[in-house]
Amino acid sequence: MYAGATRGRRGGGRTVRSVEGMEITTTEMGLAARVQNLSKSYGAGESGVRALDGVTVGIRRGEFTAIMGPSGSGKSTLMHIMAGLDAPTGGRVWIGETEITGLSDLEMTILRRRRVGFVFQAFNLVPTLDVLGNITLPFDLDGRTPSALERARIDGLIDTLGLRSRVRHRPHELSGGQQQRVAIARALATAPDLVFADEPTGNLDSRSSREVLALLAAASREHGQSIAMVTHDPVAASHADRVLYLGDGRIVADKPRQSAEQVSAFMLAAEVAA
Amino acid sequence: MSAVAQAPQRAATDAADSPARTAPAGAWLRERGMGATVLVAGISTAFGVLLLSASGFISAWVGNDPYLGGGETLTLVLGILSVLLVGVAVYVAAIVTANTFSTIIAGRTRQIALMRLIGASARSQRRRVAQQGLAVGLIGAGLGLVLGTVAAAGLLLWANSALTIDVSYDVVQPVLLVPAVVVALTTWCGAWAGSRRVLTVTPLEAIAGSTPRTLDEVAGSRGRNAAALILFIIGGVLLALGVLAGLLNPLGVVIAFFGGILSFTGLTLGAVRIMPPILRLTGRLFGRSATARLAAENALRYPERSSRMAIGVVMGVTLVVMFAVANESVKVVLTRSAGGEPPAEMSQIMDTFAAIMMGLVAVSAVIAAVGLVNLLTIGVVQRRRELGLLRALGLTSAQVRRVILLEATHVTITALLTGLLLGVAYGWVAAQSLLGSVQVPPAWASPTLVAPAIPWGPVTVVVIATAVLTLIAAVVPTRLATRVTAVEALAE
Repeated sequence: MYAGATRGRRGGGRTVRSVEGMEITTTEMGLAARVQNLSKSYGAGESGVRALDGVTVGIRRGEFTAIMGPSGSGKSTLMHIMAGLDAPTGGRVWIGETEITGLSDLEMTILRRRRVGFVFQAFNLVPTLDVLGNITLPFDLDGRTPSALERARIDGLIDTLGLRSRVRHRPHELSGGQQQRVAIARALATAPDLVFADEPTGNLDSRSSREVLALLAAASREHGQSIAMVTHDPVAASHADRVLYLGDGRIVADKPRQSAEQVSAFMLAAEVAA
Repeated sequence: MSAVAQAPQRAATDAADSPARTAPAGAWLRERGMGATVLVAGISTAFGVLLLSASGFISAWVGNDPYLGGGETLTLVLGILSVLLVGVAVYVAAIVTANTFSTIIAGRTRQIALMRLIGASARSQRRRVAQQGLAVGLIGAGLGLVLGTVAAAGLLLWANSALTIDVSYDVVQPVLLVPAVVVALTTWCGAWAGSRRVLTVTPLEAIAGSTPRTLDEVAGSRGRNAAALILFIIGGVLLALGVLAGLLNPLGVVIAFFGGILSFTGLTLGAVRIMPPILRLTGRLFGRSATARLAAENALRYPERSSRMAIGVVMGVTLVVMFAVANESVKVVLTRSAGGEPPAEMSQIMDTFAAIMMGLVAVSAVIAAVGLVNLLTIGVVQRRRELGLLRALGLTSAQVRRVILLEATHVTITALLTGLLLGVAYGWVAAQSLLGSVQVPPAWASPTLVAPAIPWGPVTVVVIATAVLTLIAAVVPTRLATRVTAVEALAE
């Protein structure tokens, strides 16, 4: 791919990368994505806001990671930058082997299309396309039809997610939970390096929420799918293998699987301390 | 407008609309689509003013000239022609306005729902929209009146010197107010017709989490569809009768004329039923790529809007092509009846007349074009979140551009093909019903069957003009659409 080319072009920048192996790669660390010394500011000078302040973290391969934090903690910004949706002010970002900092808009778009999956809080689906059209959209945008292997994968996803009877329905004919399942199917269809889920249960009732979270957890447990989920819901975070806490643009804690009570307690303590 | 009663309501609405727009009154004027409505009203008024001035000038010229004579008949003919031409332009303008307003309403749903939540009645909300339509119509008509009068004065000065004649004709006439008033009123009606959806907005839609309705019901009341069908059938029968009568007498063209008006009105009235299948057919031409499918589905997302938009362009194309084909077919028959030699002078006069008529009906096409640009632009503005989602999922800016261009092409190609077909048909009926009884050599026997002669020059011009229109229509929406970033759009 163009990963090598872009590295070469940017080689003279911050790090000398001409000798392979001088730096250990993201994969060797067992990471699906990582950021190094990441910062992001909006505006400049006194009125400027520092949304991220020197964040260094990796999302481990095959794990379901939750990124927790109160509003304004920088969790969404971190996710947007990691997913190649936004550019950082400083620092570096890798998705798999590819350093994405400095990629052009076109390169970034194609990278998202092929190697990142998205599940958003709401408005996940293209209203004019039916369920199948939405699931295969990343392939269609890439101008190719799914291979036999990929078709089998998509078929499996449609069955697992209980969408078989709905493939010809349009989004407006589906419930919120069903729409979210379609979004998950689309995100998993390309077997991306990383799936980013941004408050995927934010608009759902508790039953649909549990369903969606169980599906995400199963995707990572059974198929080794790396997933990063931004949330401020302790119950949602309790489904993850690992919980990262953000506060004021920094990582304040990095913990293994937590119960909802533990997550709540930690958030509350952080809130009181602030 | 009862400004006092409206003021608090308006202030609340504006605040709900956008915190940046805090100007108390008239802020809605800057809403996307209002400018286009002013433009459309202005063009049709100016067109009416210019036509009235031109025919008044010609009548004055001919009436003063002792050699030309026959001033009264000419005045009458010019008057009828002007009314018909302005009528078509105003009709297209009204369609465009209704469309623009229904599109604006679709984008205002949240705001209207909020007003309903606070306690405004649906009818008062709709009245407010119609009042905005009247205000915009008055502004446009006023501008059109002034600019049209100034342009007319300039043109008449030029005509006097170019034709080396001296006709004293006072440009400023009370009659010029007629097109202005008519346009202001039709804009009002158009806004009223386009604001029907206001009545269906429920207060619940103001509450977060309600997903916007994305597919309009293919509306069109049963009564309207029935009326359209009846008009179309009667018109078709009259067209056929006109052709048959034309085999015996040139007056067949009169029957065919009314058949044409009725059948075309039927087509326009039933556009919401007729256009979507044709639009769907055009969509297939684009192939199965993601961009083509997105574009095709977008063009059909609001079938009513797209149909009305397409029918405006169809009208323009049909009328232009009709005059071209009728003119050419008549020339063919005259040439044959003259024994193969084209009567040069006659041919010259006919070409000039046809060219003038084509130019005049093309104004309607321009108005329809404004509407198309507007439709595409508002469509993009209202689709920001969807575009943001698509960008996140991997739609490149080049693909965004292609989607928008294909969307414009979708409507214009459909309108072009439909218009060409209808234009050839109507043009042929006109020529056949007029000249079916002319005897031509070698047999010198009537009835004569006229083959539809298609003049490739004008048709090429129409095709190129449509292509240019497509490109122009895509410029603004493309610029807006490529500026959408995933992060911003998804945060909304």
